[in-house]
Amino acid sequence: MTAPTTSAAAGPVVVVGAGMAAVRLAEGLAARGVGVTLLGDEDAAPYNRILLSAVLEGSCDPSLLALHPPSWYADAGVTLRTGARVVDVDRDAREVVLADDERVAYEHLVLATGSLPTLPPIRGVVRPDGGLHPRVHPFRSLADCRRLQEAVAQPGTRRAVVVGGGLLGLQVARALAVRGLAVEVVEGGEHLLRSQVGAPAGRILARDLRRLGTEVYTGARATRLLAGPDGDGSVTLVLDNGATLGTDLVVLTAGGRPSTALARRAGLAVRRGVVVDGHLTTSDPRVHALGDCAEHDGVVTGFVPPAWDQAAALAAHLSGETGPHASYAGHRSVARLRATDLDVAVLGDPRTAVGDVVEVTNPVAGSHRRLVVRDGRIVAATLVGDLSRVGLITGHYDRGTVLGPAEPAALLAGDRPPAPRTLADDAEVCTCAGATAGAVRACTSLEDVRATTRATTGCGGCADDVRALLASRPLAPQGGSR
Amino acid sequence: MTRETRSGGPTATHCPYCSLQCGMVLTPGRGGRTLTVAAREDHPVSEGGLCRKGWTAAGLHGHRERLTTPLVRDRATGDLRAVDWDEALDLVAERLRAVQAAHGPDGVAVFGGGGLTNEKAYQLGKLARVALGTSQVDYNGRWCMSSAASASNRAFGIDRGLPFPLADVEHADVVVLVGSNLVETMPPAARHLDRCRANGGTVVVIDPRRTATAERADVHLQPVPGTDLPLALGVLHAVDAAGGVDAAYVAERTVGWEDSRASASAWWPERVERVSGVPADEVRALASLLAGAGSAVVLTARGAEQHAQGTATVLAWIDVALALGLPGRPHSGYGCLTGQGNGQGGREHGQKADQLPGYRMIDDPAARDHVAAVWGVDAASLPGPGRSAYELLDALGTPGGPRAMLVHGSNIVVSAPNAAHVTDRLAALDLLVVCDLVMSETAALADVVLPVTQWSEESGTTTNLEGRVLLRQRAVAPPAGVRSDLEVMAGLAERLGAPGTWSTDPAEVFDELGRASAGGRADYAGISHARIAESDGGVFWPCPDADHPGTPRLFADAFAHPDGRARFVAVDHLGPAEPVDEAFPVHLTTGRVLAQYQSGAQTRRVRELPDTGPYVEMHPMLADRIGAYDGEPVVVTTRRGELKAPARLTTAIRPDTVFVPFHWVGANRLTSDALDPASRMPAFKVCAAAVRA
Repeated sequence: MTAPTTSAAAGPVVVVGAGMAAVRLAEGLAARGVGVTLLGDEDAAPYNRILLSAVLEGSCDPSLLALHPPSWYADAGVTLRTGARVVDVDRDAREVVLADDERVAYEHLVLATGSLPTLPPIRGVVRPDGGLHPRVHPFRSLADCRRLQEAVAQPGTRRAVVVGGGLLGLQVARALAVRGLAVEVVEGGEHLLRSQVGAPAGRILARDLRRLGTEVYTGARATRLLAGPDGDGSVTLVLDNGATLGTDLVVLTAGGRPSTALARRAGLAVRRGVVVDGHLTTSDPRVHALGDCAEHDGVVTGFVPPAWDQAAALAAHLSGETGPHASYAGHRSVARLRATDLDVAVLGDPRTAVGDVVEVTNPVAGSHRRLVVRDGRIVAATLVGDLSRVGLITGHYDRGTVLGPAEPAALLAGDRPPAPRTLADDAEVCTCAGATAGAVRACTSLEDVRATTRATTGCGGCADDVRALLASRPLAPQGGSR
Repeated sequence: MTRETRSGGPTATHCPYCSLQCGMVLTPGRGGRTLTVAAREDHPVSEGGLCRKGWTAAGLHGHRERLTTPLVRDRATGDLRAVDWDEALDLVAERLRAVQAAHGPDGVAVFGGGGLTNEKAYQLGKLARVALGTSQVDYNGRWCMSSAASASNRAFGIDRGLPFPLADVEHADVVVLVGSNLVETMPPAARHLDRCRANGGTVVVIDPRRTATAERADVHLQPVPGTDLPLALGVLHAVDAAGGVDAAYVAERTVGWEDSRASASAWWPERVERVSGVPADEVRALASLLAGAGSAVVLTARGAEQHAQGTATVLAWIDVALALGLPGRPHSGYGCLTGQGNGQGGREHGQKADQLPGYRMIDDPAARDHVAAVWGVDAASLPGPGRSAYELLDALGTPGGPRAMLVHGSNIVVSAPNAAHVTDRLAALDLLVVCDLVMSETAALADVVLPVTQWSEESGTTTNLEGRVLLRQRAVAPPAGVRSDLEVMAGLAERLGAPGTWSTDPAEVFDELGRASAGGRADYAGISHARIAESDGGVFWPCPDADHPGTPRLFADAFAHPDGRARFVAVDHLGPAEPVDEAFPVHLTTGRVLAQYQSGAQTRRVRELPDTGPYVEMHPMLADRIGAYDGEPVVVTTRRGELKAPARLTTAIRPDTVFVPFHWVGANRLTSDALDPASRMPAFKVCAAAVRA
């Protein structure tokens, strides 16, 4: 090996992590014939984390979680090691060190360590031995999901409190409610989804949730977890506003932070996440990072689509390719709540985006929609409770479409209803035959219509109209000669 | 002729236009001056229905624009001059020989059409391979359903548009139409959909426009053009998530599910929504509808197929059908709604660059031996595979490309993608020979124009969208001076000294086709003109011998792969070949209108059919953005060309998309020539465009 280079398909790529970003990268490398090893610390084979709340809800078959069938990895030339926890990176030796002291050599190392759930400072959640209280559940991994499902399935489980009113919290809250639990959401901020949307949207969302039977406490922090009064193992969560919530389960969804401990210990540049450039390269040209653990251009994304864009770029880059597809230039974020009967889409950052605001709030219908427009382009948007135009608005946002001055407002209005059907004599009733209402009215019977106008002889779609026209025809004069 | 037509008597035949091939009766008036169309109530597909194109099909009978004499372009003046047939054919043969002497056999190209009868399509492929010895033969069907054909071959081991009679949809619980506007493109077919609904079924239409078909449906999904593939993956994902996969069927009748499943697992509905513009809830609702259906049919048409990923798109929808356990089950399955009148038969008998009759592959030694024996030539003399349609046209007049071309049944100037470029390529030829009934835009560029018969003046078979072989019968004598394509081919073959027989009798040619197809995937050996004439609504292929009843339904017991199993094929969405951008910010899509057919060479000349000219359909929101008004002209620009036409404002189209019908010169000057890697289908259905008032 010669001097380190940042774009050589020279040898094995080792990835710390086997999550969605890591597997996407492995797919890209495998397709180009580059060998890759995935070191995943979870015991499960790589799975689709996006679907966990749907699995919890019962609307997604758990067998769909696997990102690939087990045989795929070996067939594709990908070495997958599960339950392999990396504790150190020896950059001088170009090796990673596993928990059992095994060393794995790399030519290029990729950190895809993801994020860690944040544990809110609630007394009693962490027990003196360092473990979680048995009634407390984080919700990040497949193991968390399975443990929570088991708890939900216990006969005595009727109530749940979700701590955290962000995207994940709302998804979990809806999932548990769909499973039949009485659910309460506790959010320390002044409104729900405070990292994504402004107060009006958050308030509408809280109303929507309450209408669905889920109580919402905002501006309230949980401070203590106590044993409940019933002695059945249920617990009481004490809020800083004095409220106490009795519950059978507490689910912690209060956000996550990039998992950067390994990078820090290895002496790589780390701010919020592991700092990378457009080639997803860290401060060490042999080491890359992507996904939730990486920070590009000051941004840590936390979503799958940018992580996959990064994976595609890094796979190209590590295979020695150059050009725009081999680098990452940032991402337009679209956050989409996946929860039954709760419609939320957040495009970009509507709280901080600068531009003109076009906004429609309809508390009657439970909707709030806000577009932030700069130079004719939608730079951010919040859509709550009415996603009828979500595809179009997202398309305009993603493609940077320059809209006309009236268009943002038109996007938030509905389509005009179709004009009432007028059947003037020159109106075409049968497109197949080109027959007009007048021509049909002039006929005496359906057979006559068929023979003279040929209406109803094509697709048959005008048959009802023709019958109506014949029925409304002025009666033929009675008697007399024909 | 095998069946001499009684003068003045009614003749049972079929419509000259689309692949539905509605039954009609033609009755000549006294002296043959007029020709009257009546619908055939006894034909099981159309049941007495015809659209206005069919009703007015006789409008070209005795039409003053009908060509009745061969024309040769005068080198000095550039004008076309009338000559007699011998002079024209001698000249063509002599010049073809000269081109081949200078440039080799592949210096001559042959271009056919999906509107040609089976006999003509077969004879044209034979003319290319035997009389000319050129590999350079292909046809406009490449631009029709070729993506569905390559996908079906891959998934099922056979390509028959519908593997069941169309009327089967009447008893399906759910029918999903992906990119089909059949209410306008084949109106009488809509009766079967209406009956499906009357029987309690649900009809779903997927189309960027709320078409007449979508208006008639129960559910309409309106994706961004070119995103039917991720939409299919999303539906597959949601079917799987909802536990709707038929595991027993998948295990017993298919291979490859795990990889397709992994591919679909990456397309959860919210991701699909972002790419396709179809709300995630609608994706889930469709999946749940399908998962709960006892029987369901998934049908694709050009909207899903005419893309640079057209084959993959069809494969994705086939994957949905296979996961649900549909193909081979009663009132269920996947099918393609073929477009052109003989789009099905035209792709089976050897006018395709890589195929020999019977859907045999030209690079298969056994296939070559069989066909060569029927033709009475040495298999080694047959050329190998040639260029696909667009690639063929793109190579015309270039170094190494053909220098001369024969065209039968195609109006390339209007129907090819990137048409201005293709027109330049035609102009670069040393010799262009066009056989047509009228002076089409392509004939107008030709060095030699040969006037040929139209459908009412000749007999021949077509194979409709169901794989049903039908007989069109001669109802009137052709005008004096007009010859059939078979006569033209025989005349050229004779002048070129071709071996073998070159019959001009369609029934005889069909019998030879039957022998050539025997043992092939599309086996016609047991079918004859006489048998079809006596049949009740045609004969379905495969039909290997005269005692075989034909095969209305395929796949009940096995698929056509050697192991009898269907193939799941894992595909992924690569994004548009030409993404919209700042300069070209809207999607352009193209399609048909009810009153016109294909390049319009015929229908634009029928007086009773409205000839509106091209127009630009757009949403009022887009019109407001650019300051356009209904009926006022707008200009559509792409990287390849420009079109000025009136705007038609309608809320039925996506606001990010404009639509232009393709029956007139113009639309295809805009379209993209990006090709599907498997089918070589151009991306007619989406490219990036700019619109201004």
